[in-house]
Amino acid sequence: MHTMSRGQARIVMSGAGKRFGTLEVFRDISLEVGEREVLAVIGPSGCGKTTLLRCLDGLIPLDEGEIAVEGERVEGPRQGVAVVFQHFGLFPWKTVFDNVAYGLKLAGASRAEIQEQIPEFIRLVGLAGFEHYYPYQISGGMQQRCGLARALAVKPRVLLMDEPFGAVDAQTREILQFEMLRIWEMRPTTMVFVTHAIDEAVLMGDRVLVLKGRPSSVHEIVEVDMPRPRDRGTLLQPRFAELREHVWGTLMADARRAERELAR
Amino acid sequence: MSTGTRRGRYGTVAASLIAGAAAWEAAGHVVSGAFWAPLSATVETFIETARSGFLVRQILSSFQLYLTGLALAILAGAPFGLVLARVRWLRVALENYIMMLYATPMVALIPFILSIMGFGFAPKALVVFLFAVFPVLYNTVEGARSIRPELVEIAYSFRTSEWRLWCDVLIPYTLPFTMTGIRQAIARGLVGMVAAEIFLSPSGLGQMIMMGSQNFDTPGLLAAILIIVLLGVALMDFGRFLENRFAAWRGYNP
Repeated sequence: MHTMSRGQARIVMSGAGKRFGTLEVFRDISLEVGEREVLAVIGPSGCGKTTLLRCLDGLIPLDEGEIAVEGERVEGPRQGVAVVFQHFGLFPWKTVFDNVAYGLKLAGASRAEIQEQIPEFIRLVGLAGFEHYYPYQISGGMQQRCGLARALAVKPRVLLMDEPFGAVDAQTREILQFEMLRIWEMRPTTMVFVTHAIDEAVLMGDRVLVLKGRPSSVHEIVEVDMPRPRDRGTLLQPRFAELREHVWGTLMADARRAERELAR
Repeated sequence: MSTGTRRGRYGTVAASLIAGAAAWEAAGHVVSGAFWAPLSATVETFIETARSGFLVRQILSSFQLYLTGLALAILAGAPFGLVLARVRWLRVALENYIMMLYATPMVALIPFILSIMGFGFAPKALVVFLFAVFPVLYNTVEGARSIRPELVEIAYSFRTSEWRLWCDVLIPYTLPFTMTGIRQAIARGLVGMVAAEIFLSPSGLGQMIMMGSQNFDTPGLLAAILIIVLLGVALMDFGRFLENRFAAWRGYNP
């Protein structure tokens, strides 16, 4: 059922490893992500989630193994792959419109194409009316909507999300999560969603990759067998609570053990 | 207190200016004419020289010198600063020299310039240039280097070329910092202009100061100084305007 709808593998990681000097960040990550799959990646801070994402985008090279996107080895940033960054990363001297148009402009789109296509993405993320605002004039949540529109505007086949809602307040975060689910339903793509929030990982992901250890490696891959489209109702289902508890237990086992040691 | 209000502020400023003018006038009547002249006599000389066309000629001559030196300083300092920020080995090789020259009072170099280049327009423009270029260069380098690596990474992630990276990211980001440098250069260039006009071949407003001083024409001397002061204030305001104009987005807090 659900597993079938993932489609063919679009990202293939085989034995991926990365080190910075003598510090080994992660090792031996082998995993496939399907055409219409959302892979949530979770792990303690410093486990290399973001580093893995940067390797997937080709911003930094792997030291071991290989990552292939659409059958081709990743050697650098690829056309068809877009990133949404944790701290939004908007250009403060550009308006919302120009920020959203940035990727398309770099890809060589004409002025007419930009004028025609960009408003659609601004509407999609709910920023209509704010086209001419500068980033400092809008809230954090709106800035991230803008960052999301910028990534979507290049019509990516792989969307890499680097703790995209980690820098906004709790309420905005919830709103953006459901917005993201809605947008994904409209344009399902391969998505790798890095987060440190367990709820978010289970809500967004078809599978949750739990990274753990030093250097970190695949600790567990949790199947989230909950139907899409997902919405607020998903949070209320018993299965959601079960899965969240399961991921929590996996993630926190060490922490609990350490706590018990201390208590003794 | 009325000083808190806008009207009170203007009132205080006006009162301060009137008191200053009155003190100037009074000092002129008390102190010997060789050292000081009343404001009224200064203004009279000012109007006389303005009528004869002499004042306008001197101002234009000074301005030509000033703008040449300042323009060259901006045209050289800003691009070179960007290159230095981006090319690490070049920056490491040159930054000590730049700091040394930035810290050196440029007046100290005037004798060298005099003996090497003589008395033309070029050596004087060089003096203005040397006074003005380092703030532009220094602020541009420091500004361009302060860019968040994240923004550059985003540009790479969207597959930017090096050329587009400069146009879309590095230059717009650095512009406000360069403007701060230009504001400082505007002030320092004025100092350079007067220094060049006094220590190299006399011309322009510097020459007026020299003439006033040598002929014990104190009103003429004070008139020239007054013009330089007014120019300085106007140029500083213009510089601040430029800086604010290009830094609108600095309200952004990442």
